[in-house]
Amino acid sequence: MPSPQAPPMAGTAIDPTSVRPDLADAQIERVAPASLRARLEALKSEGYAMLLDIGGVDYPRRDARFDVVYHLLKLPVSSATVQEIGTPNRIRVLCAVPENVALPTVSDLWKNADWAEREIFDLFGIRFDGHPDMRRIQMPTHWEGHPLRKDYPVRGPARERAPRPDFANKGNVPAGTPPTGKSAQVLEEQNVAQDHKR
Amino acid sequence: MSVSSTPLEPLGSEVLLQDGNAMVLSMGPQHPSTHGVLQIMLEIEGETVVKAEPEIGYLHTGIEKTAENLFWTQAQTVIERMDYLAPESNALCYCLAVEKLLGVEAEIPERATLIRVLVAELTRIASHCVWLGTHGIDLGALSIFFYCFDLRENILDLQEAAGGARMHPNYVRVGGVNGDLPDGFLTRLDALIEKFPGRMRELRALLQKNPIFQDRTIDVGIVSAEQAVGWALTGPALRASGVAYDVRRAFPYCGYDKYEFDVPTRKEGDAYARFLVRLDEMDEAMRIVAQVRKALRPGPTMSSNVKFAPPPKETIAISMEALIHHFKLVSEGFRVPPGDVYASVEGPRGELGYYVVSDGGNRPYRVRTRPPSLYNLQALKGMAPGNLIADLVVMIGSMDPVFGEVDR
Repeated sequence: MPSPQAPPMAGTAIDPTSVRPDLADAQIERVAPASLRARLEALKSEGYAMLLDIGGVDYPRRDARFDVVYHLLKLPVSSATVQEIGTPNRIRVLCAVPENVALPTVSDLWKNADWAEREIFDLFGIRFDGHPDMRRIQMPTHWEGHPLRKDYPVRGPARERAPRPDFANKGNVPAGTPPTGKSAQVLEEQNVAQDHKR
Repeated sequence: MSVSSTPLEPLGSEVLLQDGNAMVLSMGPQHPSTHGVLQIMLEIEGETVVKAEPEIGYLHTGIEKTAENLFWTQAQTVIERMDYLAPESNALCYCLAVEKLLGVEAEIPERATLIRVLVAELTRIASHCVWLGTHGIDLGALSIFFYCFDLRENILDLQEAAGGARMHPNYVRVGGVNGDLPDGFLTRLDALIEKFPGRMRELRALLQKNPIFQDRTIDVGIVSAEQAVGWALTGPALRASGVAYDVRRAFPYCGYDKYEFDVPTRKEGDAYARFLVRLDEMDEAMRIVAQVRKALRPGPTMSSNVKFAPPPKETIAISMEALIHHFKLVSEGFRVPPGDVYASVEGPRGELGYYVVSDGGNRPYRVRTRPPSLYNLQALKGMAPGNLIADLVVMIGSMDPVFGEVDR
């Protein structure tokens, strides 16, 4: 688990997603977890054949803590030229989901949701009901905690440090101090050998 | 490759053997043809793959998490390291997203936009060079590697001249590009433009009609248009299946709608089609570079809005305001108004997107990457079953994954 002494992230954001409708990079929709599956199914049948990406955002100070963000693209499912595609519709579906609430999977609608949902589970700890293979994808299987949560320390959980090796504990030795221990022995042997040569 | 008769630890239970004939084989993560650290848990019968489950995450470095804790400008340093073969595409996409949030798209000087297109297209060629060379090596064609890396070296030289570093020049910045092109850059660029068609002829002559290469790639790893869209393949992998979706045409950015270039597509959807599409793309990329070269006019390369763009270095010694702005930008960065935005560019591997959220602070609140390699690689699960292990190597190569980006 993340160490308790880790400083909380800035986290001033409560919900910056709805404040800038002028950034019209896509059609934007917000749906509740309960109606998410139905809405995405409807979009799929409307022709949003490509699930571009699923992302997650953590707003720890909000009631529904996480945002799961779906980007969909309306593409034909057969060969198409540049002119036929034109500027396809792009839609962003945001779903606010509280901690410990699972979302329905869409991995049966769009195959590539498989890894995307696993990544969100791995890094945010949001589960997806009905996913065929809900396990970690980026972090090792035995990992504890979900790194992209804002309360997870950047440098990872506090760990016990390995003890310093003996030679590192001796402190500074003033210049000119004659060597002791094994190095003295080695020097002695070298001197003997040189004397012998002479 | 290590062989084991019992299922290995990271497997899900559904990969357990159904009968006595199949064997579980762990391919990677040190296998040379996996282009990095990809492990594939294979269930095989003889040489035939029954099921393939790629295991990723060996190169997970937490770039998205790290970016949240750096200034907007600093974050670019780690973001460039995701797709290390095309760092400038990453930087460009991230900068476009941040500029959208800042609302300063109109303030980017024209010369800066042109230079951005120039480096983005050069980086596409360089990235395809690495792909072509390593794809050749996977199939036992060693010579092409040296030709490709020689050509790539020419581009990296230009990149170094412009940005100061071969691999991660961090040249595209929020507000423009970092410094003008150096003296002599255009002469070297002209030389490259001139010799490029000959180089491409060489590269094509080495592999395109090679019967062994054709045997290994034609009808291998076939992806239909429907499957490609369903797996969210983008870039050359999607266009080799006939769907001409190219972000540069569908959602033009940086004035791509002004350039004349074709979007190469094939209908076959096999590894050879992906090979041809990428080769054609290299030609088209150089066509764009040549058009940019003609359009380049002297002018500023960085926005003059000192609230987010650092003032020119020369002015710092003589202007107190410039020094103050410089100090502020370096010591505490700039603030970005709250909001969220999705920006995408056509990277060498496909649609590279950034979903960026700002809470009004001087650090990104969230930087979510849409990594094309991740989704392209995932399609292996659907492509591999029923094929030989040797063909799996071809499929991985033809998808051109970069693991810095898959694992982030």
